[in-house]
Amino acid sequence: MLVLTRRPGESIMIGDDVVVTVLDVRGDVVRVGIKAPRSVQVHREEVYRELQKANLDAASPSEHAVEVLSEMLRSGGGPSGQ
Amino acid sequence: MTAAATSTLETAETVDVPVLDFVSAIPGFPAHRRFVLVRVTEEGVLFALTAVDDPELRFLAVPPAPFFPDYAPEIDDESMAALGIRSTQDVQNLLTLVVVTAGETAGSSTANLMAPIIVNQKNQRAIQLVLSGSGYPIHAVLMPR
Repeated sequence: MLVLTRRPGESIMIGDDVVVTVLDVRGDVVRVGIKAPRSVQVHREEVYRELQKANLDAASPSEHAVEVLSEMLRSGGGPSGQ
Repeated sequence: MTAAATSTLETAETVDVPVLDFVSAIPGFPAHRRFVLVRVTEEGVLFALTAVDDPELRFLAVPPAPFFPDYAPEIDDESMAALGIRSTQDVQNLLTLVVVTAGETAGSSTANLMAPIIVNQKNQRAIQLVLSGSGYPIHAVLMPR
């Protein structure tokens, strides 16, 4: 891992268009600002990992699970007017 | 892609099968940006999102309104811009879906309210929003009301 020392107000460039700026340091809390193009998603790591796992769990359900679910949604009425 | 799409839709015209273009990849699946959106059953609310270049990769999704009537995800300006939404009028082209994790038994399926899929039906651009800090659960039990 690359380790750099920065002071509040100083930044780091990642590639050509991602800028990470240290805004503020108080005790054990660091506030960081990130400027990145829209195609680059920026998330807290733990949130991203949780979502990644949820997506992996949701991907490609078994035919049986799909049948159970569509049956439940059908018999349960689903949205009003159906 | 056409095989998967036509077999699900049968007689429907293939040209009408919307291919969604994710403006950024779905977390966990960096290689897949294009997904075909189809209804699983004709009369139901269950949708399937199938990867164009990998028909084995499929997500189930439902519109949240029938199940979570109070659900109102807030879409940030950056995501709005990425989806090509420029005016308040454009907002009516948005379709919200939530990804479903199908359980093996009725009542064990959950919906991901923390990361809804937002589609601009006008240009087929899509995004999986991440509503961190919203308090919306990633696994909300999906039960017909």
